[in-house]
Amino acid sequence: MTDIQAEVAGPAAAKTASTRSDISRERFSISPLLYLAPAVVLLMVWTYIPLAEAFRLSFYQWNILPTSPQRFVGLTNYQRLLALPEMRNALWNTLYYTIGLFPMSVIIPLFVAIWTQDLGGRARTIYRAMIFVPMIIAPVVAAILWRWLLNEDQGLITLTLEGLGLGRIGFLTDPAYALPTLTWITGWKLIGFSTLLFSAANAGINPSYIEAARIDGASRWRIICDIRLPLLSPTILLLSMMTVLFGAQWSFAYINVLTNGGPLKSTTNIFYLLWEYGFQTLSAGWSSAAGMIAFAGFAVLAALCMWLTKRFAFYDN
Amino acid sequence: MTTDALDDHRPSRPVTSRGFARKFVVHAVMVLLSLVSIFPVYWMIVTSLRPDNEIFSTVLWPSHPTLENYIFVLTRVPMLQMLFNTTVVSVATAFLQVVTGMFAAYALVRWRMRFSSVVHGLIALSWLVPFQVTMIPNYVLASRLGLLDTLTGLVVPNASHAFAILLLYHAMRAFPIEVLEAARMDGARSFRILWQIVTPNMGAPIASLSIIAFISAWNEYFWPLLLSRKPENSVVQIGLQMFMTQEGNLWGPLMAAAALASLPILILYLILQRHVIESFMKSGIR
Repeated sequence: MTDIQAEVAGPAAAKTASTRSDISRERFSISPLLYLAPAVVLLMVWTYIPLAEAFRLSFYQWNILPTSPQRFVGLTNYQRLLALPEMRNALWNTLYYTIGLFPMSVIIPLFVAIWTQDLGGRARTIYRAMIFVPMIIAPVVAAILWRWLLNEDQGLITLTLEGLGLGRIGFLTDPAYALPTLTWITGWKLIGFSTLLFSAANAGINPSYIEAARIDGASRWRIICDIRLPLLSPTILLLSMMTVLFGAQWSFAYINVLTNGGPLKSTTNIFYLLWEYGFQTLSAGWSSAAGMIAFAGFAVLAALCMWLTKRFAFYDN
Repeated sequence: MTTDALDDHRPSRPVTSRGFARKFVVHAVMVLLSLVSIFPVYWMIVTSLRPDNEIFSTVLWPSHPTLENYIFVLTRVPMLQMLFNTTVVSVATAFLQVVTGMFAAYALVRWRMRFSSVVHGLIALSWLVPFQVTMIPNYVLASRLGLLDTLTGLVVPNASHAFAILLLYHAMRAFPIEVLEAARMDGARSFRILWQIVTPNMGAPIASLSIIAFISAWNEYFWPLLLSRKPENSVVQIGLQMFMTQEGNLWGPLMAAAALASLPILILYLILQRHVIESFMKSGIR
C-alpha cells in the first residue's frame, strides 16, 4: 500500500499537481490521494500486480503448491503451448463462440428493435419485462435450466423433438451439437439486453428526420438503411465490441457446469483451458502462458474495436 | 436515456389491412421471443413443484403441486446458510463498491491533476483484464492472507470495480462545479462536501450501481468456485454446483435448489423491474 502511494505521490507528480491544477487554486494536498487510495490499492492488489505476477509465472514451471520450488524455464511454456493441438482447438472454439453469439447479441435484437418500434405502451412493457429475465438469471441457474430442458432421456425439448418424429439429439453429449448448444445458452442470456439497448437508441432518434424522409417519399426500407442504421451505429459497435471482448468469457460458467470442455474437447475455449491447466493439472506456468497469449490477443482486439468505433460510429450532433 | 424515451409519441397512421398484418407479425415475434426468454424459468418452477412420480410429465402445470422438493433441499443441503451467506456477500460487495467508487470518482472530478488521466486510464483498463488470467496469483494471495473458504475472501477482491468508479465518475461530472466551488468558499472541508452536498444528489446513480452490483455479486460464480471448500461457508451458486455433481439427476430437488437460488433476484426484479432494466441499460453490462 505505501509503495503505491509513494509511487503515485512521487515528487514529480506532486510538483506538477500544485502548479497545474486547473479547477482550483488550492495548494497540492494529500487529500485526492486519500480518496483514490481505496479503489486504486484494491485494483493494484487484485488486478495489476497479479497480472504482472502471471506474466512472470509464464516463464516458470510450478505446481501452485507453496512448498514446491518455481523453476525458470524461459520461453518453453509458450513454445509447448503453441505446438499443442489442444491450444489451437481452444482458440478455434473461442472464435466460434464469439462469432456464434453475433446473431443473438446484435443481429436479431437490431431487427426486433426496429420492427417493434410502434408497439403500444402496455404490450411493450410486458414484452420488455419478460425478455429481460434471462439477463438477471445466474449463469449456474441458466446452465441447470437448459440441462434439464435438453436432458437426453426425459428433457422437454428431447421429448418434443421425439414427438415430432425427429429423434433424439445429444445436445450436450454429441460433439457436433455441444458447441452450438453452449453458444445458444450464452446468447439466450443476451438477447433481451441487446434488444432493449437497441430499442432505446432507436426511440432516441429524432422523429423529424424520419418525417422529412417520409415526406420526400422514401420507403420504409430506405429509411432504415439511410437514417436508422447510421444513427444506431454507436450502439451496434458497442454491442459488437462487448461480444468480441467478453463473449468467450461469458460462456465459461456453462462449459464448467455442463460439459467440462467435452465431449472430446469440443466445447473447450481459451478461458476454460486456462482453468484446466491452472486448477486441474496444476501447471501454473502453462496456465499463465496461455493467459498471456489470450490477454495479448484480446488487447489487440480491444484496440482495434476502439479504432473502429472512432472511425465508423456516427453521432447525431 | 430513460425508458420514457422509448415511448415515442408519434401519431399512429390509419390502420390498413397491410398495417394490421404487420402488427400481427410483430406481436407474434415478440410473443415468441418472450416465451423463449421466460419459459425455461417457468419450467424450473413447475418442475420444482412436481411430486416425484410426475417429474417427467410434460403437462404444463403439476396436477398435485407439492413442496416436498423444497423440503428435501432445505434438509439435505445447508441451503438457508448459503442463502444467508450470499446475501451478506452481495450486500457487502455492493456497499463497498459504492463507497470506494464515490471516493475515487470524487477525487477524479474535484481535483484535475496530471496524474488523474493516468489513474483514469488504469481504472478503465483493469476492466479488460480477464479474471482467468489473474486467477492463479489471486488464489495464491488469498490463501496467503488466510481468505480461503471465508466470506471476506469473496468480498474483498470485488470491493472496488472499474465499472462502479466510471459509472459514478460520469454521473458526478454532470454535477454543477459552481456548487462545489461555493461550498468551498464557505470553508467546507472536502469530506463534508462529498458527504453533505454531492452524495444526496447522486441518489439515482448510486441506486443503479447498487442494483447491478448486488445482482452481479449474487450471480458471481468463478471466484467462489476457486475459494470455497465447504458448502456452509460458501454462496448459493456453489451450493447449486455441488448439489448437481453429487445428487446427479434428482431433477425435482435440483430445480427447487435453482429456484431458491434465483428467488431473491426474481422478487427484486418484480418489484424494481423498471429500475433494474434501466440501470443495466444505462450502464452497459458486466
